Amino acid sequence: MRQIFLLVGKELRLFVKDRSALALTFVIPVVLIYIFGYVFGVNQSGTSGPTGIPLAVVNPENSATAQAIVAALEKEKSFRVVRTAKDAKETEHVLTEAEVRQQMQNGSLRFALVFPGEEADNAFGVHVRFLNNPRNEIETQMVTGLVQKTIFTAAPQAVFQSLQKQATRAVGAPTMSAFNHNLAGAIAQAFGGDVAAIEKKIGQGDVGLSNQAPNDKASATGNFLDKLIKIDSEQVGVRQVKNPEATRTVGGWAMMFLLFSMSGAATSLFDEKKAGIFQRLLSTPVRRTHILWSKYLVGVIVGLVQLLVLFTAGHFLFGIDVTSNLGNLVLVCLAASIACVAFGMLLAAISPTAAAANGLGTFLILTMSAVGGAWFPTSFMPEFIQHLSRLTIVYWAIDGFLRVLYVGGNFVSLLPSIGVLLGVAAVVTAISVWRFNRGQIFD
Amino acid sequence: MSLLKIENLTKRYGEIAALDDVSLALAPGEFFGLLGPNGAGKTTLMSLVVGLRTPDAGEIFLAGQPFNQRRLEQRAVIGFVPQSIALYDDLSALENLRLFGSLCGLSGRLLQERVEEGLRAVQLFDRRRADVKTFSGGMRRRLNIVAAILHRPRLLLCDEPTVGVDPQSRNAIFEYLERLNAEGMTIVYSTHYMEEATRLCSRIGIIDHGKMLALGTLDDLLQELPEGEQIRIARHEETSAALVRLREFGEIKETDEAFFLTPRVGRPLSEFFTAVEALQLPYRYFQITRPTLEQLFLHLTGKTLRDS
Repeated sequence: MRQIFLLVGKELRLFVKDRSALALTFVIPVVLIYIFGYVFGVNQSGTSGPTGIPLAVVNPENSATAQAIVAALEKEKSFRVVRTAKDAKETEHVLTEAEVRQQMQNGSLRFALVFPGEEADNAFGVHVRFLNNPRNEIETQMVTGLVQKTIFTAAPQAVFQSLQKQATRAVGAPTMSAFNHNLAGAIAQAFGGDVAAIEKKIGQGDVGLSNQAPNDKASATGNFLDKLIKIDSEQVGVRQVKNPEATRTVGGWAMMFLLFSMSGAATSLFDEKKAGIFQRLLSTPVRRTHILWSKYLVGVIVGLVQLLVLFTAGHFLFGIDVTSNLGNLVLVCLAASIACVAFGMLLAAISPTAAAANGLGTFLILTMSAVGGAWFPTSFMPEFIQHLSRLTIVYWAIDGFLRVLYVGGNFVSLLPSIGVLLGVAAVVTAISVWRFNRGQIFD
Repeated sequence: MSLLKIENLTKRYGEIAALDDVSLALAPGEFFGLLGPNGAGKTTLMSLVVGLRTPDAGEIFLAGQPFNQRRLEQRAVIGFVPQSIALYDDLSALENLRLFGSLCGLSGRLLQERVEEGLRAVQLFDRRRADVKTFSGGMRRRLNIVAAILHRPRLLLCDEPTVGVDPQSRNAIFEYLERLNAEGMTIVYSTHYMEEATRLCSRIGIIDHGKMLALGTLDDLLQELPEGEQIRIARHEETSAALVRLREFGEIKETDEAFFLTPRVGRPLSEFFTAVEALQLPYRYFQITRPTLEQLFLHLTGKTLRDS
């Protein structure tokens, strides 16, 4: 027994002396839980769920019904209602459907609600078109549900208000008032209640339909609402993708595994230093930069092949279409690989030991994957996390993959994603080389 | 002209002077031993000559030219056998040698010939396709040397190349290095084993705490000892009885196994052996021994190499 206690004591002493192990055991999990808490929106009650998803509204006639619906959408925290745009001279103007469609084509907008031009107070019911760019299936389904809920909650009252106005114009105010009074009396007699209060509600268009589920086909009101409110859904700016969610998921997870691969490869520098390989190499006509660039090139080649293999697996497993825009997919994969290798090099350059590099790498990769949208859409995250996600290479790689695989984007449309990835790689590589030349890894 | 000339080389790591104002010149074809305990500065000196580190002061000349680690053609003059076994474990012996040979500018048939020649020379040709990770320590050490000489460097620096090697492999390494030296290769061999330096090196530098304490041929160095040759006298009844007579020829120290006589200065050894004959003592009881580097190191530093 004494031996066991002695060995336990030894293990604990070694553990306490190992800073990397301490950080991996206690600090990093706490920090990750904190970050993931924010990502999943569980840090504070009432703030969970997506916020600020841009939703364009095209409302040429600005009817009362449309106004009511737009007002309800603006109250919904999940949406940021966009009604205007700026032209080249920075002059603000009301959005047109053509502009919306163009923005959805280039991916800067994913959702829009278009009220028809002929829609006016003298029309009965609501007929809107919901344009969506389903780059992300989960997000699209969720936004569609939210839009429907908001419209079905706000529209009935607005419709009946409109009906009241039309009827008043047609038959005159006294007749309409008498009709409302009689109707209120009949309702009060049949169901109970105060006649004056019921009459006031009828006058405001509130006929008790606002809380009915839109798809409740079993109820008469559900069927009635379906006829009253019509929402046509239309996909814009995307190709018909067989398995849209798989496309995003494969890209996200592929990026995470690529980052792990590249950080592992870069930390092999420590193994070679330990084995004395660098001493031998640097005693031959080989420079430090030769060693670094060889690592870099191998990383890029392996990374590129890894991404393409994973997308090919996605093709056979989930039907992802990787062939029709293959050239551009290879370009994005190449840029993503370069950025991931640069990240791995930075890890090796700033870490004193392989253990420290692995610990730091695990922390950063998990954080970047979560925040960057590898696991689920960034639009589900709090707004400040969404801003942070743009600082990660995972975000820009996924953005590039989606532009290629969803939009079928050409080279020009991919330039923002590729440009950011290569720019980040260039900066990170410069820092790494600077650190390598001043560090001890080659001593 | 010296192949390697070092002038007042100094290298510090913080407060510690790993190398302190060391100067040295090596003629082509020399087998130079750098003898000193662990931490004496041997590896630092080698790493400066190879260009792995830059000196804080002093200069290195290679074949008359100032050494510049950025000049890759100068590095091609040097071969370096690091103290660690700097080979890729997951590559075969053949793959390792092809890689390092190619990095040194060899290719095609010449590369193939050099690789095969090296493998045969260290008796590893039959295992050439086996991964290095399957090799014994001695086999790795031998391969470690071959990897450094494929490009036939004019100057070979070996940093303790026999650490942890069995006697058989050690002899194979010695023979290989002696052959290379006989073919004209200049060799710098660092070790803390005086036996190795004594056997291999035509000239020896004794280094400790970053300073070159002594430099010269073995004979030159041993001349620095106040005492020269000794006569070892086997402990025996006959020799014990004759000690009184033999003390006339010098001071005698006793150990459990033998007596050691240091002849008096100016007293010829011929007189000693005349007395031995007169005492009818057999010659097999007597052996002339040279002073050792161990004694010299003790004399220079006040400590033995093993203590260090």
